[in-house]
Amino acid sequence: MDAARQYSADLLRESERNSRLLVDSIPGLVALLTAAGEVEFANRQILEYTGRTLKELKQWGTNDTVHPDDLPHVIRAFAQSIASGSPYEILQRFRRSDGAYLWFQNNGFPLRDASGRIVRWCVLLTDIDERKHAEDALRESERESRLIVDSIPGFVAVFTPGGEVEFVNRPILEYFGKTLEELKHWGTGGMTHPEDLPRVAELFTHSIVSGDPFEFEVRARRFDGVYRWFQSRGFPLRDTNGQIVRWYNLLIDIDERKRAEQELRRSEARKTAILDSALECIVTIDHEGCITEFNPAAERTFGYRQDEVLGRQLADVIIPPALRARHRQGFARYLATGEARVLGRRIEMTAVRADGSEFPTELAITRIPLDGPPSFTGYMRDITERKRSEEELRRSEAFLAEGQQLSRVGSFSWRVATDEITWSEQLYRIFEIDRDVRVTFEVIGTRVHPEDLSGFTEQIERSRRDGSDVQLEIRLQMPDRTVKYVHIVAHCRDDSGQREYIGAVQDVTRRRRSEEALAKVRSELAYVSRATSLGVLTASIAHEINQPLAGIITNASTCLRMLGADPPDVDGARETARRTIRDGNRAADVMTRLRALFSKKEFSLESVDLNEATREVIALSLSDLRRHRVILQAELADDLPIITGDRIQLQQVILNLLRNASDAMAGVDDRPRHLLIGTEREGEDRVRVVVRDAGVGIDRQGMDKLFDAFYTTKSGGMGIGLFVSRSIVESHQGRLWAEPNDGPGATFSFSIPRAPATVTYPALAGNTKV
Amino acid sequence: MRQRSLVSVVDDDESVRESLPDLLRQLGFVSQAFSSAEAFLASEVVSETSCLILDIAMPGMSGPDLQQELIRRRLKIPIVFITANGDKAVRPRLLAQGAVECLFKPFSEAALLDALNAALGVP
Repeated sequence: MDAARQYSADLLRESERNSRLLVDSIPGLVALLTAAGEVEFANRQILEYTGRTLKELKQWGTNDTVHPDDLPHVIRAFAQSIASGSPYEILQRFRRSDGAYLWFQNNGFPLRDASGRIVRWCVLLTDIDERKHAEDALRESERESRLIVDSIPGFVAVFTPGGEVEFVNRPILEYFGKTLEELKHWGTGGMTHPEDLPRVAELFTHSIVSGDPFEFEVRARRFDGVYRWFQSRGFPLRDTNGQIVRWYNLLIDIDERKRAEQELRRSEARKTAILDSALECIVTIDHEGCITEFNPAAERTFGYRQDEVLGRQLADVIIPPALRARHRQGFARYLATGEARVLGRRIEMTAVRADGSEFPTELAITRIPLDGPPSFTGYMRDITERKRSEEELRRSEAFLAEGQQLSRVGSFSWRVATDEITWSEQLYRIFEIDRDVRVTFEVIGTRVHPEDLSGFTEQIERSRRDGSDVQLEIRLQMPDRTVKYVHIVAHCRDDSGQREYIGAVQDVTRRRRSEEALAKVRSELAYVSRATSLGVLTASIAHEINQPLAGIITNASTCLRMLGADPPDVDGARETARRTIRDGNRAADVMTRLRALFSKKEFSLESVDLNEATREVIALSLSDLRRHRVILQAELADDLPIITGDRIQLQQVILNLLRNASDAMAGVDDRPRHLLIGTEREGEDRVRVVVRDAGVGIDRQGMDKLFDAFYTTKSGGMGIGLFVSRSIVESHQGRLWAEPNDGPGATFSFSIPRAPATVTYPALAGNTKV
Repeated sequence: MRQRSLVSVVDDDESVRESLPDLLRQLGFVSQAFSSAEAFLASEVVSETSCLILDIAMPGMSGPDLQQELIRRRLKIPIVFITANGDKAVRPRLLAQGAVECLFKPFSEAALLDALNAALGVP
């Protein structure tokens, strides 16, 4: 049994020895540890590498066998593994015999017996120093390249093969103002312009899937919200197996270029739009005179399509044959000498259409300011229409001038702020001022009649102040002292704060002269009117005289018979004789009144009792009124003051009003022909006479004309009664007017002051002195 | 018979109303004067009147109006119109309408008598 155990032990020892020999022969560093982790065996290679004894190696936790920087980490990992029984792998530096530390990979794994109990730990140290250094160098180079990448002004991003952002350089971080983490969500983080995102996402995804490089232009949002254009290019990085390991992405800011491109496009578009929509023909030619552009207006005007004329000689296309030689000469001269006769100027010439018809055109040619051989743009416009309107304008101006001359109306404008005055030709003629004279108020002042000058100046000042309409009649005095009457009307218009009077001046000298003549005629008419009144009154007079005459004769006959009776009736005869005398006196009274009415010719002022005067007129008219079955009612005011005026003329007015009233009722049979004549006091200083009839009335439209001379509604009248009446009333500074009644008929009234301050009598100016 | 005839005078002129009835009485007529046509029509003498001396122009009802009214009433009273209006044109018109005469004031006694005789049917 002992022997067997001994054998067994020997066998084991032999086996261990063999194992150690084996371990020693492994070209690696191997150690065996106890289950508790104590170094039990180190192979020759370890001993040779470290130059330490096994004893020293057992002390690795307290000496410099392990690099001091690695030691805490190694102890912690080792202890943990021993305690837990799980294998470990530690990277650490071991001290070589010469004192240098080399990098090793330290792998430890437990050896277990059949029951699974750990009996030993086997440790394998692999020299990885070279690899480690290579890795460090690589890391260092990567760090450096990152620094480089960070410092280049371009944007560089690195993506994983799956397309996830792995790295971006600093310019990108700064541009976006985002962290790397945020940039990983570039697809949703609002960093790409919404309009570009779908397209870009698709291209990117396609490349990630297919492995093809990508390249696109995209707008990226800067930290301040501004989008800029970038060109984004991506390349895959492949390993030796062709497997994609990374994507490199280079972003180049092309915003300036892009904008320039857009600007160019816009400018091109604008040019095209201008060319297409221009009303003028725009034709561009090169240095050989060949057409390079021919816009739609040109197509319309000349009747060619652009493609028909491009490349053809301009001269052959639009210049009439007769002018082509000259055009070619001029063009050649310019090219040779630079001497331009038409460049930059507007010239008018004749052009020819495709169908051979010629038309006037206005042309401007400019040289296109570009390097290289000269090219030119010509702007052309068909001015047939303009020529015609110019002609029309000239004609209408001529018409206007002619019209102004004929009507003796000149027109003017006056800019208030600058006193700039513009006159029409006729106005110069009216003022008899030379056309070359600049018109100023001073110049005008030399022509205004001295007596009217202050009034004129006042009007100008008033207009200057308030912009009111001007209506003015003044006299002009010409150098030869002839006088002209002019009527000025002007209206102020405010054109954006610039007040300007536009007006007309009419030479009314002729009218004035005819007015004066008319005034003369009027006074004659007034006489006729009186004569007419006289004629009208003849019947009344006859009636008034015949009545008492009838009484006289009848009484005389009776008287004779009474005296001839037997016995004579002396008392009766005496009575009838007395009646005869009375009737004779009555006839004499009529005569007196008539003489008073018709003998006077001069206008004279006297104290007039209007009631009395009215009564006399009534007495004279009564029989006439009666004949017309007019029922007269007189309402004469008791308190009527005595007035100053021309009694006979006022009586004429009253007579006229009564006659008119009577005539107005001549056709009235369905109602009484009531006629009211009344006098009344009007305030303190005026009296009024009212004549109201129940006749046909007046309509409001005819009212204004009522008082015109020769206006009449009567078939037999001359129509001057009211006209003369008004003149008379106005000469008393009174007013005569008419108004329709509420019921049938009309009321004519006149009102005059008790004592007029002065009496003028323009209608009868010829023979009136007051 | 003429001495008993009633000659009515209608005139708005007072001197005629005063003088003419006196002369008519001197000539042997019975006479009565009225200042208006209306007053005459309202009086009791209308049917007794043998002859009417009638002014043409009067306020209210005129002479010719009265003439028409009498015709309407079928009263055949001979009428001698008198007028102070010198318009001779009225005369033929009035005569055509049945008047016996139209005298223009002032008229003579002889002319008046002739008219009255004609009115009363005295040859």
